[in-house]
Amino acid sequence: MNYPVWQLDFGGGGLLIAAMAILHVYISHFAVGGGLFLVLTEHKGIRENNPDILAYVKKHTKFFMLLTMVFGSLTGVGIWFTISLLNPAATSVLIHNFVFAWATEWTFFLAEIVSIFLYYYSFGRISSRKHLIIGWIYFACAWMSLFVINGIIDFMLTPGSWLENGSFWSGLFNPTFWPAFFFRTFLALMIAGLFGFMTATALKEPGLRHNMVRFCALWLLAPFVLFLGSAWWYRAALPPHVEEMVFNRIPALQPYLRTFAICSSLLIFGALLMAVRTPAAVRRSLAAVMLIIGLIYIGTFEFIREGGRKPYIIQDYMYSNSLLQEELPTVQQDGILKSARWAHLRKIEDDPGRAGEEIFNLTCLSCHSVGGPLRDMKKRSAQMSEKGLEFVISAMGKQLPYMPPFAGSDEEKQALIFFLHRSLLNKPESGD
Amino acid sequence: MDPSFLIPDPDAIPVNWIWLQLLLTITTFLHLVAMNVLLGSACVALAAPFSGRGEEAGPLCRKIGEKLPYVMAFTINFGVAPLLFLQVLYGQFFYTSSILMAVYWLAIIGLLIVTYYAAYIFYLRYEDLGAVRSLLAGGIVLLLMVVAFFFCNNISIMQLPDTWVRYFSGGEGLQLNFADPALVPRFLHFIASAVAVGGLAVACYYEHQRRQGDTGGEPWIKYGCNWFTIATIINFPIGFWFLGVLPSFAHNVETLAGILFTVSLYGSVAAAVISVIHAQRCRVYPAAGWALGAVFFMTLAREFVRIAYLDPYFSLTDLPVAPQYSPMIVFLIFFAAAVVLVWWMVKTVFFAQGVK
Repeated sequence: MNYPVWQLDFGGGGLLIAAMAILHVYISHFAVGGGLFLVLTEHKGIRENNPDILAYVKKHTKFFMLLTMVFGSLTGVGIWFTISLLNPAATSVLIHNFVFAWATEWTFFLAEIVSIFLYYYSFGRISSRKHLIIGWIYFACAWMSLFVINGIIDFMLTPGSWLENGSFWSGLFNPTFWPAFFFRTFLALMIAGLFGFMTATALKEPGLRHNMVRFCALWLLAPFVLFLGSAWWYRAALPPHVEEMVFNRIPALQPYLRTFAICSSLLIFGALLMAVRTPAAVRRSLAAVMLIIGLIYIGTFEFIREGGRKPYIIQDYMYSNSLLQEELPTVQQDGILKSARWAHLRKIEDDPGRAGEEIFNLTCLSCHSVGGPLRDMKKRSAQMSEKGLEFVISAMGKQLPYMPPFAGSDEEKQALIFFLHRSLLNKPESGD
Repeated sequence: MDPSFLIPDPDAIPVNWIWLQLLLTITTFLHLVAMNVLLGSACVALAAPFSGRGEEAGPLCRKIGEKLPYVMAFTINFGVAPLLFLQVLYGQFFYTSSILMAVYWLAIIGLLIVTYYAAYIFYLRYEDLGAVRSLLAGGIVLLLMVVAFFFCNNISIMQLPDTWVRYFSGGEGLQLNFADPALVPRFLHFIASAVAVGGLAVACYYEHQRRQGDTGGEPWIKYGCNWFTIATIINFPIGFWFLGVLPSFAHNVETLAGILFTVSLYGSVAAAVISVIHAQRCRVYPAAGWALGAVFFMTLAREFVRIAYLDPYFSLTDLPVAPQYSPMIVFLIFFAAAVVLVWWMVKTVFFAQGVK
């Protein structure tokens, strides 16, 4: 209500952030797990006195660097850009509360850049011991980046006692901090294995290829039990109302939960299959398929986690449409058009259709697109009469607990219905 | 409509604003230096083959190509920190301006990804590129300039809440602030500075090589110094143009911000002049030192101009403070540790005695 609204119709409903975030999260987890993969593979090469493995590590580092430093870094900045455009109020809360967490993460990012460049550059130029130390520094910094960012992400899901005391430390080390940290760490290790398949299956020499593919399969299989354990811990750490929301009360999340379970099985089955000696072309194709499954896997997890926050963007503090929970009664009393700084018009009677659109933009557009692939408002309201729409809007925050309560007055509710029914869907006035 | 009504309420900051302003200034300076080296050296790589030196320019362009991806990485990293501190101090202005030009603002990410990969292709496929090489270098320069322009546009909108009302004639996020007479000279001022510093960076590199005993690149020291001199001289009229279109309150010496701006401006001009004199005598390192001084003074001047622009609406001292100093102390400790680590790694790799 404090900021202008970027008029994204087709791209509304979080499409932009979903596209940017899922790709980034995948690559950034690779940046963490892949760091450990590099040093442990180098250790393996040294231990087995195998220069071919060391050559593979160098090749994999180049691939790793090109992917994580360019695409990973910039999509990370991209998430920041995107959330500040789509939900500036929430971004502002995160930035102001955690400015020094972000700043600390920036120092890790700086050390990451220097260490990975030097790690790549110094293959064969310095002693193995020092080279490995640089690799370990990279991994430590990448892991610490995850440590910090994980705190901020999970703050949005479970702000815990921050809601009462406003303390930085309470917010960062929130109730789901530790389980989420281990969950993401084990996931990062598995993702390292997935990306490892891509370079390992491209190796020319069959013996080395088989050796490295099996090594990568181990990266998927070994952390999996710990990953499942941390997932259980993560769920147990959720406040009961959040757990209830994720697992029972949001019907739209059920397909994601099922997909997550199916992908878990597929990844394990795929890893076992990769460990068996099969023709190179089969392995290569399977590696690509598994990489896509991994993307779906992390994408569904992120959808589930984001879904768990609903109807909030910061749990129990700020609704997904940027309205502060504590402001709701005042806005309901004064009306949305009078409360929003950037409203085009202040009175419904000036232009009811335009006023309805304005109310839609201010309160609905952050979660619903217009004609787009995510939570399309046209599709959702197409089968509803004006009475039906009124019922749904009145049920928001009550029978529909995953949606914020409607923040406007009765007149504004009618204006919104007018816009949805008449302007958006071009339907005649219904008598029912 | 009174634009002050549109300014969102700021959130509380955790420490006194002066700390955040200090961090903003220092990190902006680091970012500007890296950005100047990146864009400027890319310009050199683009222009050198056409400078009448023909084939001789090959090794220079290859050398620049080797460094571009790394400089780009640091430019982006050093850009993250000032963007963070800018949002803490001026978020209510900055988020608004970003939304008003949302399409262009978000396009920066795509443009930077393309530029970054183009820089890697320039580096890794240099020999194979042949005639396409100059085209690629031109593409990199063009993309970086577009990104720079979008940044200038954002800051321009941010500093002029009067222009925000254009949102009400369309919220598609396509606002370009050509109504601001300072937009174009501001952009050109940055570009000319970048070209100058890029030339000096080339001179510094070959000076370093010369001191290491490799004298093969000596002609490029002179070449880089000339780039720096010519671009800096061109930048003077652009700078005066920029100064001339700034609102009078920005350099009103009756206000503290105006005095500090004027001092910074004079400091910058003096440092630039001294730097050019050194450059013309091929005293590369002193020239670089003074050029850094000029950039630092210009960074300060930017900060004071912003304060002056926003003065009718906002003062940093108005920001609510909810004091929590321990996170800042932790940040400073980690920052110091990161500096030590970086130093150790650089020392270990570059000062190593031969291959082991």
